[in-house]
Amino acid sequence: MTSRRQFLAGLLATGLAPTPTWADAGSPQFVAAAALPDGSYVLCGIGAGDAIVFQIPLPARGHAAAAHPTRPEAVAFARRPGTFATVIDCASGLQKSTMTAPRGRHFYGHGAFSADGDWLLTTENDFEAGQGRIGVWDVRAGYTRAGEFASGGIGPHEIKRMGDSDIFVVANGGIDTHPDSGRTKLNIATMAPNLAYLHDGLVVETVALAPDMHKNSIRHLDVADGQVAFGMQWQGDGDPAVLAGLHRQGQPIVPLAASADHMRAMRGYVGSIAFSRAGDQVAVTSPVGGVTQVFDVATNALSHQIVAVDAGGVAARGAGFIISNGQGQLGQIAQGQLQLGARAPLAWDNHIVPVGA
Amino acid sequence: MKRLFCAIAIFLGAGAVSAQSLSDVTGAAIDAHILPRFERLATDAQQLANVAQDNCDAASPALRAAYGTAFDAWVGVSHLRFGPTEHDDRAFALAFWPDSRGVTPRSLLSLIADEDPIGLDADAYADVSIAARGFYALEFLLYDDAALAAGDAAYRCALVQTVTADIAALASAIDADWRGTYAADMRAPSQTGHYRTQEEAAQELFKAVSTGLEFLGDTRLGRPLGTFDRPRPTRAEVWRSGRSAHHVALSLAAIGELAQILAAGDAQVSDVVADGFARAQARVAQLDDPVFAGVTDPSGRFAIEVLKQSIDAIRATVRNDLGPKLGVVAGFNALDGD
Repeated sequence: MTSRRQFLAGLLATGLAPTPTWADAGSPQFVAAAALPDGSYVLCGIGAGDAIVFQIPLPARGHAAAAHPTRPEAVAFARRPGTFATVIDCASGLQKSTMTAPRGRHFYGHGAFSADGDWLLTTENDFEAGQGRIGVWDVRAGYTRAGEFASGGIGPHEIKRMGDSDIFVVANGGIDTHPDSGRTKLNIATMAPNLAYLHDGLVVETVALAPDMHKNSIRHLDVADGQVAFGMQWQGDGDPAVLAGLHRQGQPIVPLAASADHMRAMRGYVGSIAFSRAGDQVAVTSPVGGVTQVFDVATNALSHQIVAVDAGGVAARGAGFIISNGQGQLGQIAQGQLQLGARAPLAWDNHIVPVGA
Repeated sequence: MKRLFCAIAIFLGAGAVSAQSLSDVTGAAIDAHILPRFERLATDAQQLANVAQDNCDAASPALRAAYGTAFDAWVGVSHLRFGPTEHDDRAFALAFWPDSRGVTPRSLLSLIADEDPIGLDADAYADVSIAARGFYALEFLLYDDAALAAGDAAYRCALVQTVTADIAALASAIDADWRGTYAADMRAPSQTGHYRTQEEAAQELFKAVSTGLEFLGDTRLGRPLGTFDRPRPTRAEVWRSGRSAHHVALSLAAIGELAQILAAGDAQVSDVVADGFARAQARVAQLDDPVFAGVTDPSGRFAIEVLKQSIDAIRATVRNDLGPKLGVVAGFNALDGD
């Protein structure tokens, strides 16, 4: 019997199909990269009931992905300092094209589409200059390179679009690396991370932490109602006072701090950050500390700390959050409780990305 | 990846050691490894500064010998990157490498060209770019042809005295902090200390072993290896003074010593750890290629790649055998960041 997917793939091949939508990809709600026990790497679509609705091979270890706002296409990015990004047709389960970072650049593992879906922006390293760049790719022209501009700092990691606008926010982590020495950090003593807002190829606003926090690398982002939540990774000795914060353009940073014990539990590391759907909660994962923390946005205070072993990915779902871990489990966080699902024979990698949000 | 699944299985299957024996392990690491090595660094660095005061000619055999001795002492602690070494970025100031964009040569040559007075003042020198400080800067001043011919000889000579005095001050400060309170804090974890539990202290030591091995394989060996199509011999560490392979041997010995202390009490783990380090040491000894020049020819390159594989094998042993013994879970996402 011909499966729905094979049928669709056949239709697509003959050019008879109407414009496909995310429903044609088995309606995944999330995409996430994973490692398989045989040492290979895939991008998976996660649908209702946490079922894996597609699983597409990647050439090497992936990191995050960007989901096209309307078409069932996802771009899986290589883990830094990788140079590939794979464009996947999630309806047919086939690789649509491959993006390769230009000479002298590598990807950092994240990217974001413009509101109309015509452009893809990627965080990149101009590693000879040691400067962050934003690569611009023309989606209609088959994901070809259209240009690039400055990210406003060193080591840009995650990038997100601000709501329906074409203002983007980027986490310039501040850490200088060069592929000739792998992932070795070259400038910890002098690093200066920032949060930069970009519009039309220009940096329109940057905001930095206090000088005594210059070793707090801003890396992960989420956006809700014009507000940015950001998660950090501490590169100094001892424990930092804060690992996450909130920011609105034109205003100062609001720290999401907790008690010394709670900060210590995070082990100086935020793997992912997400707002809840209502925007009233922010969750941060720490696979290093084996905990996930949920903050109340109204009070900026910690609501819950949940034990979540090796959980890297987090995204909004229902009134709470979905998390993914290195043991192949997905879990639901609701009212401070974690309900873990069954183990799939894979290890979820770092991020879980909502589709068609 | 297969190994990761195994690591998780091993951890779940075998109990980690008790808090009492963890405390013994930490105590042994401090007394037999950390304190004597930082004391040696402080002594040898002071000796280097003294020799430079007497004779700052870059070609002086006495100065070059003192440089070698003190640098050996640094490499022997370069995996112990926590606490006193990180305070005020002391370790970065002692050891700015890798220098992917040539900032050390540029900073030093500009100091020399300008005869910048800061190069004559050891106390003020703490304010220059860290790329112009420490052992790697000193190597450039003593061994680089361009540096040896640059500017005024008297200024260069004084700059060597300044850099060595700065190195001595940094080494002395690290040693003093370890002896002052840090060793005691690590020995006796408390709610208000740097470490709250014996597990946290042991994990810090485990991390020193695993990150030290990572730096050894990926950076000390990985940089000159480059790619098969584009090997990069002049990216080897301290190739100017012919010490690249020597650093690999020293670092293996130092990390191996700590790993052996952490493995104590478990004969099986102890044996595989000892075996792994012995294999890698034998490969360095057989290499006969002090600056990894062989990366450019197929047979020389093969030998260096085999050495790197032997270090990767130790990393797997440490993760899969030593980690579980100390109660360190090596989760997929927890392991190596984003």
